[in-house]
Amino acid sequence: MMAALFNNPTLMIILTGMLVGVSGALLGTFLILRRNAMLVDAISHSIVFGIVVVWLITWATSGPVQILGAALAGLLTVFLTELLASTRRVRMDAAIGLVFPALFAAGVLLLNIYARDVHLDTHTVLLGEIGFVWLDTIVIGGIEVPRSVVWMGLVTLVNAAFVIAFFKELKVSTFDPGLATALGLAPTAIFYALLSLTSATAVAAFDAVGAVLYIAFVIVPPAAAYLLTDRLIPMLLIAAAIGIVSSISGYAAAIALDVSIGGMMALMTGACFGLAFLFGPRYGLAAQVWRQYTRRYADESRALVVHLYEHEGSPNAGRENIVPALQQHLDWDAARAEQVLRRSLRRGLVLREGSTLHLTRRGREAARELLEY
Amino acid sequence: MSGPPLHEPDFALHVEDLTVAYEGKPVLWDIDLDIPPGVMAAIIGPNGAGKSTLLKTVLGVLRPTAGHIRVHGAPPRQRLRRIAYVPQRSAVDWDFPTSVLDVVMMGRYGHLGWLRWPGRRERERAFAALEQVGLTDLAGRQINQLSGGQQQRVFLARALVQEADVYFLDEPLAGVDATTERTIVQLLQQLRDAGKTLIVVHHDLQTVRDYFDWLVILNVRVAAQGPLGSVYTAENLRRAYGGKIALIERAATAPDTPERPLDGPR
Amino acid sequence: MSLLAALTNYTVQNVLIGAVLLGCVSGLLGTFAVLRQQSLLGDTLAHAALPGVCIGFLIAGGRHLGWILAGALATGVLTAMFVVLMVKRSRLKTDAALGIGLSVTFAAGVVLLTYIQGTAGASQGGLDSFLFGQAAATRRSDLWVMGAITLASLVLVLACWKQFKLVVFDPLFARSIGLPVVVLEVLLTAMIALAVVVGLQMVGVVLMTSMVIAPAAAARQWVNRLEHMVPLAMLLGVVAGVFGALISAWGNNLATGPLVVLAASALVLVSLLAAPRRGIIRERIDRWHARRALGQRQILATLYKLAIKHRDRHYPVELGMLDSFFGLATRRALQRLEQQGLVARVGHMREEGPHWTLTDTGYAEAERLTHFMASDDGPTRPGPRGRGTPEHG
Repeated sequence: MMAALFNNPTLMIILTGMLVGVSGALLGTFLILRRNAMLVDAISHSIVFGIVVVWLITWATSGPVQILGAALAGLLTVFLTELLASTRRVRMDAAIGLVFPALFAAGVLLLNIYARDVHLDTHTVLLGEIGFVWLDTIVIGGIEVPRSVVWMGLVTLVNAAFVIAFFKELKVSTFDPGLATALGLAPTAIFYALLSLTSATAVAAFDAVGAVLYIAFVIVPPAAAYLLTDRLIPMLLIAAAIGIVSSISGYAAAIALDVSIGGMMALMTGACFGLAFLFGPRYGLAAQVWRQYTRRYADESRALVVHLYEHEGSPNAGRENIVPALQQHLDWDAARAEQVLRRSLRRGLVLREGSTLHLTRRGREAARELLEY
Repeated sequence: MSGPPLHEPDFALHVEDLTVAYEGKPVLWDIDLDIPPGVMAAIIGPNGAGKSTLLKTVLGVLRPTAGHIRVHGAPPRQRLRRIAYVPQRSAVDWDFPTSVLDVVMMGRYGHLGWLRWPGRRERERAFAALEQVGLTDLAGRQINQLSGGQQQRVFLARALVQEADVYFLDEPLAGVDATTERTIVQLLQQLRDAGKTLIVVHHDLQTVRDYFDWLVILNVRVAAQGPLGSVYTAENLRRAYGGKIALIERAATAPDTPERPLDGPR
Repeated sequence: MSLLAALTNYTVQNVLIGAVLLGCVSGLLGTFAVLRQQSLLGDTLAHAALPGVCIGFLIAGGRHLGWILAGALATGVLTAMFVVLMVKRSRLKTDAALGIGLSVTFAAGVVLLTYIQGTAGASQGGLDSFLFGQAAATRRSDLWVMGAITLASLVLVLACWKQFKLVVFDPLFARSIGLPVVVLEVLLTAMIALAVVVGLQMVGVVLMTSMVIAPAAAARQWVNRLEHMVPLAMLLGVVAGVFGALISAWGNNLATGPLVVLAASALVLVSLLAAPRRGIIRERIDRWHARRALGQRQILATLYKLAIKHRDRHYPVELGMLDSFFGLATRRALQRLEQQGLVARVGHMREEGPHWTLTDTGYAEAERLTHFMASDDGPTRPGPRGRGTPEHG
């Protein structure tokens, strides 16, 4: 029964995708909140360097040594970037963009020199081949299990354990590093641990989805989740859910269109993000545009009310509190003036008497409230 | 649009019924403001009173919800050549690769037209302006080697070469040394005496009386405006600054500043 | 292949010309990207070029560079606009927006790439080469396209030079004199996409990041004027490009792209270390001088204090005592002070070892120094002569 499960290619491919999605979401949530999304980009490119170097030394293409080597390469990237930025001769963003391409180029060049026709070609490095994960298996307890599933499963467990064990530390050092230091929570150590796990996960995910698509799994689902919720635990859960949904739908779409499975899964995270970006209940584009419109109308009504209130009973009220003043003083064009006036009349803020405008009691109260906050 | 002549073209700055809402929150409520030409006006008010917002709206960076603005009788967009603007020092990256002289010449870009490059005439004007602010020695200096006060004077020199009629300055005296403050104030007063209008966002209540002759006290609405002498009273300040009484007591009720109106420096 | 043979080789010539064009355009347009603090936008736009390449391929029905570059430019500009939209219209910050733009467009590119593989049969027309670039496959016709783009961007930058400069330096002021700031900013962003497009053939999408940033970052260390920075960045870009191309041709056809990028990175490193004014080495030397001068001043001050305490202008102080007071060897510093005529050696008592005392000039100098340090408005007074001048007041 178990053996049949692990022999099912479709299931194994989707499972691998899900594990990448979940492990990425666990880390990405904190990286997004810390505004370090581009470090993921840097790390996932430059682990190529680590992988090649470890491969040249040990001839291992996966396994613990590779994961360790890549984690070190990831840390090296972050360290070099911070070192470069600390000279204050280049800015942080430029520092990132200088360090990782250099390491990446070095990795590609080494491959180019030593490994012209081996397993580790540059194409795989970037794209991965999730469609073949079920071919490469190891035997555990008499059952053949795809190697990627084993490693991804392990890494996901480690990430989950890290997030659960250090949840408090992660939370505080993400939102308030100063406080974290004051509380003795070592935010720098937490930060580097987070980045080490990001690189380690990248290696485990690397056979399946490659370096660049991995970025999508780490950044995009948490970013989408960030547009849907304000709280940390729901954000983690939503991000993981998006990763899972993207894996399933991406697989289906890829099979239907006969295109790259990994690419389609990553693209699906983008689709989920697009939906969140457009239709998120509070932070979505549609909600924002709607809010902006209503706010503008409200602001215009308020401006009118305050205008009338300010000039009420003053000697120039005859000049200010009349309909033409909307165009001449408040500088609204005819259509807008008409609209604001109609809106304010309807809401019972203003009374119209010929061309003279009066505040209703409600309007007067509204103005007074506005001016006194 | 016809009707009686509503906007006095005689004013250097005429703001009428201006409401500016920023991200849903109104920052300026229906303000009316008139500043005659040839004065040196301070705009003061507590933090968040809308001072910088007012300036940015006049310059067209922010769009008002309602109201209109006239500079010498026309919308600011039609008066760009007669307006000079001095942003806050912190608004730019001082590590930008350019020289002092070059920054000053930027003041001529508006006059130069689209394709012409600044030439000798522009350079001469820029030098003259640098001389006025006392920085000729630093003309060739890279701008990141300037002190805060020197940076401010460079910005002022850039405004000088614009040869405008109305100068808007956003906190030009914030965080500068005493020498610079003196230089800048003297220069501004010279400009005023030459008939220009200076509209300065100012933060230091202590020095308002010494430097300015016109005052606008702003706190979301205009709390008071007019010649300094009739406006600079503890009563008005208290209205704008509200709770922060201690500061005002010191500023406005110091021995030489009784409750009654004061004489301007003119 | 020997270097000379390489130079006369038709393919190598193509690669060299391509490298020169790449260097020019990336130095030219990268300078503005770096100064606008949009270095990583180049990264995102480079990845975003991949789907454009595929779309261009699909439209043209083959590997037609003009269409491919047009496609890449289009997706680049669209992505840039989307990134701006995300930053403006959501709570996401720039880094997240850039990362999303980068990874999602790249995923779309991968999907399209495999789609083309599926439909166009076995031949995918060498689209893979746009991932890492394939300089050796550069054709003369490609060079014309690249050259035209380079020339066009050069003309654009020269025509709008002062507007670009002002918008990058001080957008608020630019607005106040009536420049169309938004249009100019869109143009500047589109230019990054343009630079990326030229580099596709040579170094590929992934490594283009570096070509946008490295020449400009290196050039900035040497010069202090935009008017010098742009040509120097172009020159450094060309040097890196040509160097990479030559090594590649010479060294048994190593991949050109990584070599170009490594050369550019090396230029950055050298510039950071060795640039005459901003260089790190220079800074270290200055700091060392300053520390040495400070040490000398401290010794003078100590001698002065002892002299005051003992009411003897020329109170002799034993070397060993000074050493233990400062916790290090002071003999060299004393010798330098002696050369300046500020201290003198006295044979106090032979068996007690060398003693030092202030000279009259030294006493006056120490007196001045002590007052100088005591009063806080130091920089307004003339500093002490020589190296001791505190330059950073």
